[in-house]
Amino acid sequence: MPGQTARDVMDPHPTVLGAGETLAKGIEYIMDKRFRNIPIVDEHGRYLGVFGVNCLLRLVLPQAVLMEDGLTNIAFVSDTLQDLRRRLQEVIHQPVTICLSDEATVLAPDTPLLETLLVLYQTRRSVPVVDPASRALLGVVSYWDVGRAILAQEL
Amino acid sequence: MHAEAPPALIFGWDPLWFATAVFAATYILVMTERINRAIVAMLAAGVMVLAGVLTQKQAVAGVDFNTLGLLTGMMVIVAITRKSGVFQYLAVWSAKKVKADPWGILVMLALVTALLSAFLDNVTTVLLVAPVTLLITETLKVSPYPYLFTQIFASNIGGTATLIGDPPNIMIGSAVGYTFNDFVIHLTPVVLVVLAATLVPVYLLWGRTLHAAADDRRRVMEYNEREAITDRRVLVQSLTVLAFVIAGFVAAHPLGQEPSTIALFGAAVLLLLDNYPRSAEEQTHGVHAALTEVEWVTLFFFLGLFIVVHALELTGALSLLAQYLLSLTGGDLGITAMVILWGSAIASAVVDNIPYVATTIPLIKAMAPTFGGHEALMPLWWSLSLGACLGGNGTLVGASANLIVAGMAERAGYRISFISFTLAAFPLMLLSIAISTLYIWLRYL
Repeated sequence: MPGQTARDVMDPHPTVLGAGETLAKGIEYIMDKRFRNIPIVDEHGRYLGVFGVNCLLRLVLPQAVLMEDGLTNIAFVSDTLQDLRRRLQEVIHQPVTICLSDEATVLAPDTPLLETLLVLYQTRRSVPVVDPASRALLGVVSYWDVGRAILAQEL
Repeated sequence: MHAEAPPALIFGWDPLWFATAVFAATYILVMTERINRAIVAMLAAGVMVLAGVLTQKQAVAGVDFNTLGLLTGMMVIVAITRKSGVFQYLAVWSAKKVKADPWGILVMLALVTALLSAFLDNVTTVLLVAPVTLLITETLKVSPYPYLFTQIFASNIGGTATLIGDPPNIMIGSAVGYTFNDFVIHLTPVVLVVLAATLVPVYLLWGRTLHAAADDRRRVMEYNEREAITDRRVLVQSLTVLAFVIAGFVAAHPLGQEPSTIALFGAAVLLLLDNYPRSAEEQTHGVHAALTEVEWVTLFFFLGLFIVVHALELTGALSLLAQYLLSLTGGDLGITAMVILWGSAIASAVVDNIPYVATTIPLIKAMAPTFGGHEALMPLWWSLSLGACLGGNGTLVGASANLIVAGMAERAGYRISFISFTLAAFPLMLLSIAISTLYIWLRYL
């Protein structure tokens, strides 16, 4: 019996964002479906990176605290929710790719099952499954997909 | 003494030429930055001793431990003080003092930077002030470029004002025996004029165009600077110790004490206050954290450099160079001072001013007989200090603080390019040297 791999536990039809879509669309997905990160693909379905929920914070936090050697304490800044909302509105129609993170860990479809679980455990978020040759996004492995697959085996 | 003289030949070379070659190689390697400068200096020092240019005893005698102690002590004090958030407090407080007016903030942050740089090292100062500047300019929706540019200048200008403001001054003070008060009396007045004069072209270049919306200024005015203080206990302790240390610098000479003793004792007291009465394990952790902040690369760079320059001095190379320089200036004190001032400024704009000053100090000392003794050299020492410190403003690579600010600006999305910086900075640096020329000429010549 061939060893099981990432392909066996991934969701082959994940929610994705097109490279041309706006931040507003990405934020809508994240808020409605409570995703922590969503893969971004080009018009040919090739994986480009992920749009993460952390980017939402990055969009409303001052640059001076996000950069290396930046401020570590901004308790003296008393911005309100209205200020944050206004800051977000200033960028919300920009393409989602300004928040693209291409450093996220990805899995190959033939990654062994236990290795897949270890990567999932270490990254602590859903992991895209990408074809190494074509860079096509094949699916996403999440905690829930793995849990469902394990429970289904027991039944 | 005879036994400590260098051998007649080293690998077939005259020791003078061998030492000069090692020194030149050290300089080139430091300038190219291909190998860490501490490694270069330590290797060069090792080569000098192993080749027999000088003995280990002579090498140790060549190290200026007063400079090293002063630098180390101040680094520890700053490492603990910065934890309190007092520097961010000062920056925010100063911005609010001018009602968040963009030009007013630029002037105030320049003054704060200059003031802090006079007592702390320049890199630490800009590391503390630049992030607050970026926050304020982001809030005001104005370009941070003129602010950061002015802070680079202010840090190098402010650092010139005191004995402890910039490493060249520490080296000069230690080598010549000038006190904290000497630097304040002889350099602070001209530094204040240079700082004020620098702000005029900055206003003409950028200041007139700085405007912010009333709503954005309101947001800055709503900053609560008291919240910038993160640890009130550390704040009180560190400011008290800092005040005593500065008072100690002022009183050191009459008491027969060296500045390094004052700084290291202050550092030890502050470490005690910061760690007592914690458990032994917590104390170890706290002391380790403070000592980790010490810039060991800089200290080891100094250590190696002192040995390399001392080796050069022992071979007579620097005396020869001094004689050559005097033959060029005709042995005229005024012309020699101007050559040192302008030469140091141009050199420091492109090379690290620490090795430059380390080499120039024995060079100037060797001129004492020509000018009638060490007392007569005073204009030359102030010329060296002004040239080496202010010259760092000439280009982006002129001083470490310049590169630190440029790096921070880039990470925040605003590029300070070498060319654009030099085009504005070099003429401004020349202006500061022109003012210094006038000052040296009128006061000492």
